[in-house]
Amino acid sequence: MKKGEYYYRGYVGVLAAIVMCALVVGFEASSYAADENVVKIGNILPLSGPSASVGIQGQNARKLATEYINKAGGIKSLGGAKIVNIWTDSKGDPNVGVTAAEQLINTDKVHLISGAWNSAVTYPSTQVAERYGIPYIVPVSVRDTITERGFKYTFRIAAKDSWWARDQFLFLEEQKKSTGTKLETIAFVYENGDWGTGMRDQWVVLAKEFGYKVVLDEPYPSTSSDLTPVVMKIKTRKPDVILLTSNAADAILLTNTMATMKVKAKAVIGTGGGHADPMFRKNTGKNCEYMFDVVEWETDLNRPGIPDLNAEFKNSYGYDLAGESVDAFASVYVIADALERAASTDPKKIRDALAETRLCVGDNRLGIDILSYDCVEFEESGQNKHAGIILVQFREVDGVMERVTVYPAKAARKGFSAVFPMP
Amino acid sequence: MDIIIQALINGLLTGSYYGLAALGLTIVFGVIKVINFAHGSLLMVGMFAAYWMVRLTGWHPYAALIVVVPLLFLFGYALQGILIKPILEGQRDVREPTEVIIVTTGVWYILDNLALMIFGAEYRVVQTSISGQIFMLGDYIFPKAQLYGLITTAVTAGLVLWFLKYTRTGMSIRAASLDRDAASLMGINQYRVYNIAFGIGAMIAGIVGCVLIPFYYVFPTVGVIFDVKCFIIVVLGGLGSIPGALAGGVIVGLIESTFSQYMTSTWTELIVYVVFLAVLFIRPAGLFGEKRDW
Repeated sequence: MKKGEYYYRGYVGVLAAIVMCALVVGFEASSYAADENVVKIGNILPLSGPSASVGIQGQNARKLATEYINKAGGIKSLGGAKIVNIWTDSKGDPNVGVTAAEQLINTDKVHLISGAWNSAVTYPSTQVAERYGIPYIVPVSVRDTITERGFKYTFRIAAKDSWWARDQFLFLEEQKKSTGTKLETIAFVYENGDWGTGMRDQWVVLAKEFGYKVVLDEPYPSTSSDLTPVVMKIKTRKPDVILLTSNAADAILLTNTMATMKVKAKAVIGTGGGHADPMFRKNTGKNCEYMFDVVEWETDLNRPGIPDLNAEFKNSYGYDLAGESVDAFASVYVIADALERAASTDPKKIRDALAETRLCVGDNRLGIDILSYDCVEFEESGQNKHAGIILVQFREVDGVMERVTVYPAKAARKGFSAVFPMP
Repeated sequence: MDIIIQALINGLLTGSYYGLAALGLTIVFGVIKVINFAHGSLLMVGMFAAYWMVRLTGWHPYAALIVVVPLLFLFGYALQGILIKPILEGQRDVREPTEVIIVTTGVWYILDNLALMIFGAEYRVVQTSISGQIFMLGDYIFPKAQLYGLITTAVTAGLVLWFLKYTRTGMSIRAASLDRDAASLMGINQYRVYNIAFGIGAMIAGIVGCVLIPFYYVFPTVGVIFDVKCFIIVVLGGLGSIPGALAGGVIVGLIESTFSQYMTSTWTELIVYVVFLAVLFIRPAGLFGEKRDW
């Protein structure tokens, strides 16, 4: 009886998910079926579950970019074809993501797929798209192997996680030299999904290379109801440097618990994701001050298009643009550019056009002009070779907690440099 | 500072609010004999109620109890009265009306998605006067918010036990939980009793909300994080047993905090399940469960 109930619960959940997906997809698809002159992008995003907050930001960014492009006349080489987004909710679950990809391709007949933020979802769902020969744009999903399987139809705009880890260590090296701080021990604390464990594998190699002693290597489930045990472990091992990979909820919980338990380190560095979520600094307040985070993008970057777009985005959705939303925004422009050049909705032709993409800042395309790196150009593997990383520090500026770009020094916000070690 | 003693302290503090969170579930089960799958959602409603009270009025989270507790009681009372009562009436001759499970699952989905619609998916934390405050005893750290949680758990459990044991309503709840038909024959309005029991379950969810918000975040599916844990705790302690829920909560809390000092925290979940299975193997009714015909 008891056992049966547990099964029952899971079963009902799956059933409800399928029905809901079918309803959403069915509704959206049917409302556009009449108009043939559209390009359909199937979006797989975590719209509910632990990564919903970032998934919805990506959805909003795509909506806004699509609106801009359609308003400016759509895809001209296709007779002004409009871009239409079809949304599916992956819940951050690989199984749901794979089903969604199958459904988008077979039922909705989408021309491209975009997604899926969670590396664990992107990894198997790109495989589905590859099998059917449908181009799959990955604005953000950092797991390296996504573009290391020889796939022809997967294109990633953001940097992969080995580049994030590499820059975290390069930053530490630079600070060691410039401030004379001794950094010997290091702790890795990460969510136990694909993303966290992928980062951890990079860290292990880099820590060895740069001569750190690893005093703690701690995965934890992102949905933990309590992270005090993890924090206690950090406290007893006393690392000089703490590297974190967290989703939003656990980033908030870890930071607040670390403050309560008075854990101190010379540097605490996040890896985007939860730490880059605007909710993070809203919900940790002063507890996050002086922490570092690596990120592909920041509002204080010196790019002329950013203030206006950010104002518009904030006005529409109530929060600032962030790395995820900017890459999602840019991805629609990358797609539009490829469609323009392909002059066809044939997936193979779109794919070939994507492979020849070369879009740079200053080409007068809003989605590209706001990027922190200079160009979007894909390697053979489908990875954008120009994607880059910056480091920010949480600092109180005029009474407001802000993310201040501090590294590389040339990209730093005017008048700011890293406070290192953390006070 | 001895890390194990600190880990035990943390485990006890965490375990006490786990126990409190499971208390509502065990009470509803004890009386209506069905598992309330909407329990996590009730916790979510309790947390949002507490969050908004504190956020809008700036009150101390424990002052918010004055409003949140009656509010949630009425919510639970109405939920049972409007949604679940018709099923119970339709299943008059059945001792364990399993259809209620499906209804509560529906309530779970509806409440979570309503919250998603109304409040959005973002995480919310409210800074209260006790957030991040600690109390030091020697070298050992007691976060104030959790320490108050421990006291609240003890007081709540004591009051509920007293209520069930000595008040007339409490006695009729116990009577209905033993045998709903016999209780009805004795002149007890069983549906009113169920409404009250569900109301108490929801009310405790409101108390949990007030205990949690000084240090925990709120979002629409926050209940999911707690409810699997609550089920384990309730079954471990014995379905329907109030001391069982508290003991189960503390056991889970202690396992999580102490074992994770020797292994990665992802493994402690395994230990929780091993202990869970071992207890069920030795005592199938749970630690404090009574052997009953159901």
